[in-house]
Amino acid sequence: MNRLRRFLQTPEAIAGAIILALLIVMALAAPLLFPGDPQAIAGPALLPPFQDLSLPLGTDRLGRDVLAELFHGARTSLAVGLAAAAAALLIGSVVGTLAGFAGGLVDDVLMRITDAFQTVPGFLLALAFVSIVGPSLGVVVAAIALGAWTGPARVARAEVLSIRERDYVAGARVIGMHPLEIAFREVLPNALPPVLALSSVIVAAAILTEAALSFLGLGDPNRVTWGGMIAEGRTVLRTAPFLSVVPGIALVLTVLGVYLAGEGVVESTAVRRSLS
Amino acid sequence: MSDLTISRRGLLAGSALLLASTALPTIGFAQTPKKGGRLILAADSEPRNLNPAIVASNGVFFISSKIVETLAEASFDGKDGLEPRLALSWEGAADGLTVTFKLRDGVKWHDGKPFTSADVAFSALQIWKPLQNLGRTVFKDLEAVDTPDELTAVFKFAKPTPFQLIRNALPALSSVVPKHLYEVGKIEDNPANNAPVGTGPFKFAEYKAGQYYRLARNDAYWGKDEPYLDEIVYQVLPDRTSAAAALEAEEIQLAAFSAVPLADLDRISKVPGLKVITKGYEGLTYQLVVEINHRRKELADLKVRQAIAHAIDKDFVIKTIFLGYAAAATGPVPKNDPQFYTADVPTYAFDVAKANALLDEAGYKRADDGKRFALKLLPAPYFNETKQFGDYLRQALAAIGIDAEIVNNDSAAHIKAVYTDHAFDLAVGPPVFRGDPAISTTILVQSGIPDGVPFSNQGGYKNADLDALIIKASETLDTSARTELYKEFQKKVAADLPLINVAEWSFISVARDTVGNIANNPRWAVSNWADTYLAG
Repeated sequence: MNRLRRFLQTPEAIAGAIILALLIVMALAAPLLFPGDPQAIAGPALLPPFQDLSLPLGTDRLGRDVLAELFHGARTSLAVGLAAAAAALLIGSVVGTLAGFAGGLVDDVLMRITDAFQTVPGFLLALAFVSIVGPSLGVVVAAIALGAWTGPARVARAEVLSIRERDYVAGARVIGMHPLEIAFREVLPNALPPVLALSSVIVAAAILTEAALSFLGLGDPNRVTWGGMIAEGRTVLRTAPFLSVVPGIALVLTVLGVYLAGEGVVESTAVRRSLS
Repeated sequence: MSDLTISRRGLLAGSALLLASTALPTIGFAQTPKKGGRLILAADSEPRNLNPAIVASNGVFFISSKIVETLAEASFDGKDGLEPRLALSWEGAADGLTVTFKLRDGVKWHDGKPFTSADVAFSALQIWKPLQNLGRTVFKDLEAVDTPDELTAVFKFAKPTPFQLIRNALPALSSVVPKHLYEVGKIEDNPANNAPVGTGPFKFAEYKAGQYYRLARNDAYWGKDEPYLDEIVYQVLPDRTSAAAALEAEEIQLAAFSAVPLADLDRISKVPGLKVITKGYEGLTYQLVVEINHRRKELADLKVRQAIAHAIDKDFVIKTIFLGYAAAATGPVPKNDPQFYTADVPTYAFDVAKANALLDEAGYKRADDGKRFALKLLPAPYFNETKQFGDYLRQALAAIGIDAEIVNNDSAAHIKAVYTDHAFDLAVGPPVFRGDPAISTTILVQSGIPDGVPFSNQGGYKNADLDALIIKASETLDTSARTELYKEFQKKVAADLPLINVAEWSFISVARDTVGNIANNPRWAVSNWADTYLAG
């Protein structure tokens, strides 16, 4: 409770939490409020917003309901963002822990691989991966994780390097625990907090990368995505700007919300640390 | 706006358009052409190979048709829809074995050497027949080209070849390149492929990758006083939205090939100083087609194909996707073709109930989730409209219980997936009708075409009757008998639906008021522009 109270002390954190909560409600409520396929043709094409009560945000070039697409797009954005961040954190912390704990040749090899991935811009990597394998939701998640795991790996390794010299690790060795067991049961859980602090940045970046891939036509075409909506709206930017502006605002708010909430978490834990 | 309504009505009236257009005054002004000036226009792609004799495609013609000329060009009012360019006359023998061309006198290549019948013979035998994407079919029986004198070329065919076909092929397939530059070394690697040398009104001057192509006036051009322009600059603007902005900012004076998105036309037609022109593309009709993989057992059933045809609301496609700048298709020949089109074919009205009934009859009942079966749908990525139609088709199929999953690919991957790997159930394609069904239309349904030939029947469709009809038509010399066979062909295709023709569309130009002599032939954007001028 204390932690929550501290988290809610900063106005940024409150704003971030509210935006995130709204977004999650949107994503969860999408199939209830807008059952059926959000890409179904619902009315006349290019209806401007606030003209028709049943289509409050208007329709796109094919007459699809923009509000329904926005809600269903929130699902895709959040799902991809969270899944990609989870995958990146998982891969990163495992690689980082192994490298840090084993040391020597294993460390060198794993870190050089990390270097190699870090030298290639993450977006370029995702772009190449998706265009080779073919766009689908799973592939997009994998592609984003591919470029995002190196940060957590480096942070995890640095933490592990300091933790592995601690007394309780030596103790675990003495009682004959298997090194892998020590690494993943004793060391990793203690190395996690700073790694998790990266998660908000990774989620925000993953949502943006997904939108950028969809914008370039490399998203899953069978799902609504905000990036895809912006790309579709771009061809009629001068005549129907709302088609790009509406999902654009949603995207900005989402990334801002995730980032602010993440900052809030980091700050509240930092305060606790400095107090103790 | 008046141009626009005339053309819209014209498209709907089909072939009447061609007749009507001849009666209309030429678009632009009734003033005498002015000499000089630089025309700057938008180019959306940068073809590497600019040799139109090898790559007969609109992307290449757009630039190189001003440099390299053909034997004849399409025309609104010329005999058989043609007007002379490098050839002054053409005549086919009654037995279909020879075609005689009389060539223009006093024509010089851009490097000063004289143009002769040897150049025509070389281009035909060494390039059009063995190397050209379209010429391979049309000139497959060309055996020799005799050159009795410098201005006569006699094409000799091993098998009777319809003169109508050769005539219809002239505007797109007969680009003549200089023998003296191409006879040494491998033709495909010749440097002139990237910096073409021709006889046309403009010389190739300069190409800066990612920036522009520049063509300069050919002072020694054969046309009297032509060309009027000093220079043509193709500004590379790959982004479609930027072409409209560049026009408004007066950075460019012309955007052809629908470089301005259809949705922007209404707005831009109201901008003072700009005009929207729908004419000048009558000879370049694109067809919106649903390609079908007949290897899928569901799709091999005619009832299922009929159901899909009934599920497509062509009216919606025309109005919403093409914003009215298209016409509904009835079969494999477009309505605006003056020679071959027939409306007397089976048609498929938009009728979801009937489509559902047909699928039930075929034995594909809805499962508990309302779905009958699932399909993979590959929309071609070349046009916004083909992609949007893919999105629409998915919804139209959902209404009749077919669950279509869209697979997006880039151009190269799409061509490989559909035409080589056959990894599709339905595909959305934009084949081009080139004035004669034998040039690039019959191969869309003919069987026995090797894997990997793009824009051909790769759906595994085989119909012995139709194949026999196609072969018979290709050997029939009499023009009216041949035309009748192609009318029969349209009926058979519409009845058996090897593919589904949905719509036919062409392009739109947007130009500043100052550009004169626009759209004065049916292939204007890919013609030589010798008479185009800038006023004021």
